[in-house]
Amino acid sequence: MSGFVRGNFAFMGKVALLAIVTAILALLTEHAFVQKEYAIGSFLLFAILALNFTYLTKFSIPLKFFVPGILFFIAFVIAPIIFTLSMSTYHYQTGNILGKVEATEQVVTLGAEPDANGTTFDINVGETPSGDFAILVSDIANNKFFISTKDARTEVPASSVTLDENGVATAAPGFTLISAETLSKSDDYSRIHYKYQDKFYIGIEGQNVGAVFQQSLTYDKAAGVIKNVVTGDTYKDNGRGNWAKVGAPDEMLTPGWRAPIWFENYTKLVSDEKVRTPLIKVFIWTVVFAGMSVLTTFALGLLLAMALNRKIRGRRIYRSILILPYAMPSVMSILIWAGMFDTEFGAINNLLHTHIAWFTDANFARGAVLLVNLWLGFPYFYLICSGSLQAIPTELQEAAAIDGANPRQIFRKITLPLLLQILSPLLIASFAFNFNNFNLIYLLTGGGPRETLDGQIAGATDILISYTYQIAFGNNTQDFGLASAISVLIFVLVASISLYGLKKSKVMETFG
Amino acid sequence: MNNWVRENLWRHVLAIAVCLFSLFPLYLVVLSSLSTNGSLHLTSFVPTEFSLKNFRFLFNSPKIPFMHWVQNSLVIASTVAICSVVIGAASAFAFSRLKFKGKKFGIQLLLLVQMFPAILALSAVYVIMERVYRFAPQIGLGSQAGLVLVYLGGSMGVNIWLLKGFVDSIPAELDEAAKIDGASAVQTYWLIFVPLAAPVLAVVSLLSFIGTFNEFILARLFLVEMDGRTVAVGLQQFIGGQYSQNWGPFAAGSILASIPIVVIFLSLQKYIVNGLTAGSVKG
Amino acid sequence: MNRKRLGLFGVIASAALAITATVVPAAHAASEILIWADETRGPHLTTLFAANPNVIPGSTIKVVSFSSYDALGDALDKYTGSAGPDIFIGGNDWVTKLAKSGKLAPVTLTASQKSKFAATNFFDLTYKKKIYGVPVDINNVAMVYNTKLVTTAPKTYGDMVDFYKANKVSKGLKAGLCFTGGGMAWGGLSGLSALGADPYFMRAKGVPDVYKGFNGTTFGNNVKKYLLDANGKSNGFFPATDTGCADNFKAGLVPYATLGNWEWKKYADLGFTMNFMPVPGVVAGTYGHMFGSVNGAFLTTNAEKHGVAVAAKSLLTGYFASAAGQIAYEAIELRPPANLDAQASASVSEAQKNMANAATLAGIPQIGAFLGSNAGGANYWDSSGGYWTAVLVQGKDAVVEGKKLAAMWKKNVAVGKADL
Repeated sequence: MSGFVRGNFAFMGKVALLAIVTAILALLTEHAFVQKEYAIGSFLLFAILALNFTYLTKFSIPLKFFVPGILFFIAFVIAPIIFTLSMSTYHYQTGNILGKVEATEQVVTLGAEPDANGTTFDINVGETPSGDFAILVSDIANNKFFISTKDARTEVPASSVTLDENGVATAAPGFTLISAETLSKSDDYSRIHYKYQDKFYIGIEGQNVGAVFQQSLTYDKAAGVIKNVVTGDTYKDNGRGNWAKVGAPDEMLTPGWRAPIWFENYTKLVSDEKVRTPLIKVFIWTVVFAGMSVLTTFALGLLLAMALNRKIRGRRIYRSILILPYAMPSVMSILIWAGMFDTEFGAINNLLHTHIAWFTDANFARGAVLLVNLWLGFPYFYLICSGSLQAIPTELQEAAAIDGANPRQIFRKITLPLLLQILSPLLIASFAFNFNNFNLIYLLTGGGPRETLDGQIAGATDILISYTYQIAFGNNTQDFGLASAISVLIFVLVASISLYGLKKSKVMETFG
Repeated sequence: MNNWVRENLWRHVLAIAVCLFSLFPLYLVVLSSLSTNGSLHLTSFVPTEFSLKNFRFLFNSPKIPFMHWVQNSLVIASTVAICSVVIGAASAFAFSRLKFKGKKFGIQLLLLVQMFPAILALSAVYVIMERVYRFAPQIGLGSQAGLVLVYLGGSMGVNIWLLKGFVDSIPAELDEAAKIDGASAVQTYWLIFVPLAAPVLAVVSLLSFIGTFNEFILARLFLVEMDGRTVAVGLQQFIGGQYSQNWGPFAAGSILASIPIVVIFLSLQKYIVNGLTAGSVKG
Repeated sequence: MNRKRLGLFGVIASAALAITATVVPAAHAASEILIWADETRGPHLTTLFAANPNVIPGSTIKVVSFSSYDALGDALDKYTGSAGPDIFIGGNDWVTKLAKSGKLAPVTLTASQKSKFAATNFFDLTYKKKIYGVPVDINNVAMVYNTKLVTTAPKTYGDMVDFYKANKVSKGLKAGLCFTGGGMAWGGLSGLSALGADPYFMRAKGVPDVYKGFNGTTFGNNVKKYLLDANGKSNGFFPATDTGCADNFKAGLVPYATLGNWEWKKYADLGFTMNFMPVPGVVAGTYGHMFGSVNGAFLTTNAEKHGVAVAAKSLLTGYFASAAGQIAYEAIELRPPANLDAQASASVSEAQKNMANAATLAGIPQIGAFLGSNAGGANYWDSSGGYWTAVLVQGKDAVVEGKKLAAMWKKNVAVGKADL
């Protein structure tokens, strides 16, 4: 057995595995660079080097254990966090989500105004003898025909064109039709502004449709402004991600782009009363919710574990039933619970012979959330506790019993402290999990009830994460920058509380 | 007799009460799956109809590839369960047993990062996988492989933390003895630690399996193709529609989809409880 | 690194390079139009294009169906770069938001194409005077009465309340009027509007009146008069949610209910008479407004990036907006087509025509710029249901809350008009 791990066979296996992984990553790296995804490409390159260096040298033994984990961690945990951090310094919300270059392109595209009558023509696309793209335009109402290229418009007498059954010209001297199949291979011809008259041009608006436009907005790259050639207005970069009219800064062109505004999202958290008040309210409930959830699930789990910690009749059956809530897919359970709390038809009101509007009253809704979370969470602690109880050396308890301590004293003085010591990392993890227990809130109450008529965005059962989700992806304006700033704030708060708690409980020292 | 009552009665009363609490919603799901009216109303605690219409719908409707969904969920969840433990256990072992510079920092980082609200990271992950799609569609947005990668990455912190907690509870005497015998860290890991920690690893991978099986927020964004969906996403469409909710097939599908997990769980329950403590060094 | 390991590294590197060199990155499928749709429309579109693969010469069409309408909305919000669709089909809830963010591209319809649609249809597709898609089919609800309970059509809101009060006990009624489909916000507009609360008003020529708001006091008093008992509690005529409405209506426990035009057939098959009408107002001859909106097919900026802009535009204007295209699609989707020529076609059923008639009597266009605006504190979608919860469930004063609602919506319109 030892030879298997130490010997040449293992070594060759390792090298083969490494070669395969390296090959796959190298392939991906190449593709990434070809598609200009430099950040991802660089990361993949880094991964290749890190893997090979670690496993082919004796640089560091611990790294051999860590490298795969670290790489995943960087890619899917650290990178998104850095992304969120950087977005929190941006004006990044509905209307401002593109990059500046793309947003400006869009503004110019949208600055193509149809002429006053919305004139459209039947057209066919082809080329001139010199190989330029050209369109053969049929002005059927006036029985006029002309060929347009990007520089010139040539009238064609009606007598010299060939018409199809709809009266649309398909052939004319100096114009060669290009087939639809050929055209579908590239969109280049559709980006050309075909000459019409004065400032107007014909744009391609479908396979046989041309419409008359005027380019009203133009981007002056050198001056860094957008000009409206029709009205003479000038639009300047307002520094917050929009082209705003000179003299009337509230008149902005859409779309805007995400622009750095540094700490504005953070100062808003403090200075903007509309943001601050709900945030404090939500924060308090979040802590209460997470704390109560850990407490109730742990308490019930422990109680059950102690009750079933001796061989009583039916223990196996009890245990099988008790862990069912844990084994069932929680998405389903939460939705079922939501249905059970319905005022009119829900099983809960039916059972209690009450008519409580569970999800429209703040306190009932909070109670319901905690109850459902208890249902979801107690089996976990039941399993953990019953395992841990067996692991606690019985000698201590026996000794205490001999010394005349009653069961309650033994529990309080010996069993519970020992359990807490063993389980404190799990309790902390459970707190952190519930602190960010998005699924439960989102699926059960959606954060409600919400006093919408008073303009509240934060509901009574909204925890920070569901509130943040509401801000970032809700029905209202989606403010990603602000949501990111709140996330960072949540992080700082939770992290400092946890670190303080850990220092206090000295759990950290055992890691040393 | 009196003694029995004093000692055991409360145990039975408590256990039965909590069992009823556990079973109540599940009982409703069963009722709902057997009913034909498509809603989740409790008109009576006694089943009034026994219709298998909802179950038949899942298997016979040509537009509902239910078996594909189950298969997808099983494949995705087991891949994640196995890989995450293989990768995570190594890291957990190193954190728990090896001495190196920056260990404390690493552990703290691991713990702290878990506190970061992951919901916004969702968008970031979406953007990353969207970009990956551009050069490698097989593992980018919309692919099951891509989703597996995201799950693996996302669960890495939690799993290492969880595993580390369990590993810490395994007495270190054996691997210290091995070390004295001259075994390298890698050998200790494979020859002593892994066999010893097998129950723990199994439990954590089972937890990981369930977590993945349950996940639907990412899956719903990632797996849009009808045949490629997971059970959670596929079933959610019955009740997440724009206009109507159809609880019957949802309940029926949920029951069927839960069966594999519940069976695994129940058949391994002893193992799970033992694994959670893993103090098997005594034996 | 010793020499042996260096050699190994060389082996690995060359193996990697050898594999890499043999595979070239796959090019994007050219001239494929990608359509996103939700779980009901998507499969219908897939069927449609499987039967008509060559509607756009030289292009293929791929339909991706999301698992739910919400999932589609989320994906539309989240996609960046060019990973999104070229076209998406759905309600118009997202137009304002997406157009504002620069994800949609304008579509130009010829005058003759435009003349095939009711002018108000385009409100649903417009942001800042630009049209971003084409109308595909009508999306509305209308009220029916259960002829087994009620024999004549109600003329006023009071008629319905009187009937409910008189028969509540004897017939075991669960409610008087409820909404089976479309939710309390969208499908339930007529419930608010019949008593006097409207998110905005239209002028005669189909232009929104951006200065007029509804009278919160009148509305609140109507609510008190018709929906509350002497103690200010709900009299049970109008439930605050739509939960269970469908089942109760089917069971004959609710005399009046609104149905969606996508689900009427279910009720027709159960034997209900499709006597569609708008919800009557408090005065005879007036009606509660409802959204007579359209589902659209929308063009995104990706079409340009993918090089299929022309093909996608042709698909929209030449197929989705055409009578032939809509008749083919509605043969599967079963809603009333938006195209007037298609509407007149023989394939449209009597029920669909009645439904469309109700919309003509009391439909208002669904103007996303107003409905999505939250300048007053909350947008229409969140606040309309909020009113019913506050008054009917929490027992707050109907007039006080009505005034809040009126002030909120007036502000939403005042600010939202900039996005028209």
